[in-house]
Amino acid sequence: MTQITIIAFGQLTDITGNRFTIDNIIDTNTLKIQLEEQYPLLKNRKYAIAVDEQIVSENTLLNASSTVALLPPFSGG
Amino acid sequence: MTDKKPKNIFVQGAIAASFIGESIYKHQTQKNIGAHSIFLGQVRSDVIDNKTVTAIEYTSYEAMALEKMHEIRESIFSKYSLTCMHVYHSLGTVAAGEICLFVFTSSAHRKAAIDACEETVERIKAELPIWGKELFEGEGYQWKENSLGV
Repeated sequence: MTQITIIAFGQLTDITGNRFTIDNIIDTNTLKIQLEEQYPLLKNRKYAIAVDEQIVSENTLLNASSTVALLPPFSGG
Repeated sequence: MTDKKPKNIFVQGAIAASFIGESIYKHQTQKNIGAHSIFLGQVRSDVIDNKTVTAIEYTSYEAMALEKMHEIRESIFSKYSLTCMHVYHSLGTVAAGEICLFVFTSSAHRKAAIDACEETVERIKAELPIWGKELFEGEGYQWKENSLGV
């Protein structure tokens, strides 16, 4: 069973905490569905998904060694 | 991509005025420089729903931010004729009135330094995974959102 660790940042940490795991996820599309089931508040939040430090815009395959991060809109500076 | 390791840009807490002064001083030996451009971001004490922002607490996805900053640096150096560029951004808590971002570009003539500095600041705000949590006086907070150039 593949277990993927997700790290969250910014305002999303209020919903999910800094770090959590999700089981049996094969790609970023299924991740998104599963995430919003597990954390319904995420549905009305804007965020990007990064896999191995790159923001992905298309569905991307995941494996146990993938580093997945949820990034809300940036507010540096 | 180059194989150079990305430079660290993060400073814990506020960026001290003395550090900024020291950075300027260090460039005296580089006599091919004719212009410096400096941008300083300062934490503003906004009032939101009658609550005053007393500090911003910054967090970042550091590995990704440093990688991205490296890309920005490469692209700015290929676009402008710069002698050097230095970027520092705070992490952790920075009180209102303190400096949280320091961008410093130098070139032989002013236009390159000024334009490169401006573009770097805009790209930092838009592209680096950094988040600011605005802490209110007393208690409570709200997550900051960057506006575009306002």
